[in-house]
Amino acid sequence: MIAVQDVVVRYAPGATPALDGVTLRAERGALTALVGPNGSGKSTLVRAMIGRVPVERGSIRIDEEDALALSRRAFARRVAVVTQRDEPAFPLLGREYIALGRYAHGGLFRTAQSDDPAVDKAAERAGVTAFLERRTDQLSGGEWQRLRIARALAQGGAALVLDEPTTFLDIGHEMALFELLADLARSGLAVLLVSHQLNLVARFASHVVLLHRGRVAAAGTPAAVMQGSVLESVYEWPLVVTHDPAVGAPMLVPLRR
Amino acid sequence: MRWLLLLAVTACSGSHQASPRDRAVDDFGDTVPVGLAARRIASLNPTTTELLFAMGDGGRLVGRTHWDNYPPEAAAVPDLGNGLRPNIEAVLAAHPDLVLLYASADNRSTALKLHELGVATLSVKVDHITDFAREARLLGRVLGDSAAAATVVDSVQRTLDRVRAATAPLPHPTVFWVVWESPLMAVGGGSFLDELITIAGGTNIYGSLSAPSPVVSREDVLSRHPDVIFASPAAAKEWTGRVLVPDTALIGHPSVRLGEAAVSLANLLHPGVLR
Amino acid sequence: MRGLWTTSVIVLLGLFVVALAVGPVAIPMHDLWSSEIVRAVRLPRAVLALLVGAALGMSGGALQGVLRNGLAEPYLLGVSGGAAVGAVVAAMLGLAGPATTPLAALIGAVAAVVLVLIVARVGGGRGADPRVLIMAGVVVGAFANAAIMVALASAPADTVRGAVWWMMGSVADANWPGIAWLASYVAVGGALLLLWAPEIDALALGDEAAAAIGVDVDRASRRIFLAAATVAAATVAAAGLVGFVGLVVPHIARSGGARASRAILGASALVGAALVLAADIAARTVRAPADLPLGAITALVGVPFFLSRLRRTGASP
Repeated sequence: MIAVQDVVVRYAPGATPALDGVTLRAERGALTALVGPNGSGKSTLVRAMIGRVPVERGSIRIDEEDALALSRRAFARRVAVVTQRDEPAFPLLGREYIALGRYAHGGLFRTAQSDDPAVDKAAERAGVTAFLERRTDQLSGGEWQRLRIARALAQGGAALVLDEPTTFLDIGHEMALFELLADLARSGLAVLLVSHQLNLVARFASHVVLLHRGRVAAAGTPAAVMQGSVLESVYEWPLVVTHDPAVGAPMLVPLRR
Repeated sequence: MRWLLLLAVTACSGSHQASPRDRAVDDFGDTVPVGLAARRIASLNPTTTELLFAMGDGGRLVGRTHWDNYPPEAAAVPDLGNGLRPNIEAVLAAHPDLVLLYASADNRSTALKLHELGVATLSVKVDHITDFAREARLLGRVLGDSAAAATVVDSVQRTLDRVRAATAPLPHPTVFWVVWESPLMAVGGGSFLDELITIAGGTNIYGSLSAPSPVVSREDVLSRHPDVIFASPAAAKEWTGRVLVPDTALIGHPSVRLGEAAVSLANLLHPGVLR
Repeated sequence: MRGLWTTSVIVLLGLFVVALAVGPVAIPMHDLWSSEIVRAVRLPRAVLALLVGAALGMSGGALQGVLRNGLAEPYLLGVSGGAAVGAVVAAMLGLAGPATTPLAALIGAVAAVVLVLIVARVGGGRGADPRVLIMAGVVVGAFANAAIMVALASAPADTVRGAVWWMMGSVADANWPGIAWLASYVAVGGALLLLWAPEIDALALGDEAAAAIGVDVDRASRRIFLAAATVAAATVAAAGLVGFVGLVVPHIARSGGARASRAILGASALVGAALVLAADIAARTVRAPADLPLGAITALVGVPFFLSRLRRTGASP
């Protein structure tokens, strides 16, 4: 559904490419995880999607449509991106924040009332109905992340891209968020998740893409990608991959040097 | 620029079939009807206030600025505040039929506003001694009292001539006149004070500068070795040599006391030259 | 929220009546409308004060959103410096006058804003980063101030006086043509800002978040910035520098409950109009018959108010 083909992105002319011919697919109904060390280009790909960095070569297609040729609004209607950071400069109510996701549906006479049904639905799917009347600056980290996902859902697209949504979340909130994402994937969305949490990725993702220095080092099921030798050379750290019987997924254990 | 305005104005006034003798043009280029029997005059600058009293028309004044303090009779005239950017309402409250303004750029909008409300204005800029004579004659024409104006002008002129004659044969000391201490500002060639210095028998070291109060450096002043320094009592402490204090009450602006001012300065520079 | 609207409208109407009724000439209430003095002197002045306040309020509200900074205000971005340079240059060329000075000030202000955008682009990245914009604004403003000082140092006394007076802000020279001209700028600029209110809301989240929502961040920031700055420049052209209004008014709107940009813009327009009108009434009555500079009154009111807001909210406004 999201098809990235041979994408090359450079931050400055003549510099080393941040993305050097990356190809990956995120299908509907699946949770695809994009992993890799810091600086491997994961966030760059997200930025390229929202038009913050220009794509030098290659294509990004959304259901066969050329995403790079779409207007920003048109893209936002198809793909909802939850960036690493967003912080309202001035507090809003939860409802108002989610309603921002309706921007892409434009219209001069869009009012709060006309947005309500979409907002309510998105809030329900993300499980944040209780926060609709609360202020954004009064939410906890976990609540805020779910609200952001609600905003993304309000955009109405069939694809969801998230860049490290579980930073700063405790174990409980992290798990709850992954459960939510897995649910959303199951309900038919194409979910592309950038994450550092290899173990959670191993448990929840159906497809994993490993990036290393702007290139795809491995892609496939979690079991296929999470091989000790590959991960060690990419992350440049000694580690061991075991199989966790309790959860039925590979588990990564970093060793001490 | 002013000539263009004058041309335009005379062209427009053709519709009234008025001859040029019925109109006077002030320093804003506005026309003022001559012989306007102005009974209620708001004089918004000290020069015209003094002039009106000197012409014997002080009784027609219904307003003056806060700083008009001469002659003593002026104190009885209502104080209307600033002469620059006056409070229009305060001026209107006095119901004047003629307002005398100082013709600086900041008063342009005041003049326009007053015209809009049907009040005649006469705006003059008096920077030089010749301006004084011109202004007095203009005012005399407008008030229909040219004779009184002429008397005042002649009296001042006679005194000035007398001083000039008395000091002419004497050696002229070089003079530096301190207007302001920080920044250091001097009387320049653009000011009537420069003319007074010359009449009083002195030579202004900055007479060649066209600005009325140019900013100068102390070093430059000292390098010119002025014979005399005119300063206020406060500033006098900053200078050594022959430092004299002119009577500022007389010197404020070029008006009816120009003659007395010249006499006072001449006596400072050349003690005893005039009685 | 509704409380804020009704209060603002009532206060505004009340102030308007006071502005028409108060002055050195005593005019009985029932004669107000037919009085020449009211129609020719007080009415234009009050209307100009309203327009200036509304414009500055909206401009401040838009800029604080787009720059994500509660301390942003229209004058921060080169508008005041550029306008002042324009006015001073006009004065020095002997072109100062009720019609020419505002035009020169507007040209100067717009030139300064464009310069800020250029400097910001040269300075870093895509030229729409708020921090870079603000820094560029401060730099251009400082340069403008220096230029003004140099120009005034060698100018004759009444040019200096005129320029300084203008820089202190005043609506005393209100005239209907000037008001009509300002009104058209405010109407167009205000309408555009209201139209772009959703973008302002999105941009207030941050560049990347706004892009994720579907906003063309660079274009939207630039045009909102230009619209807000032009509206502010128009007020500077009409009334000189009236500071603090654009800074303080959006905070009042926010503390009254306005959150979304559309509401903030509307409330800021009302509150700004009321504030400047009140300041003008004070300016001409406190030390009558002297007419105090409007900018001084707004600063005197604005600074303590702002300090009290900072204290109450503790962290960032």
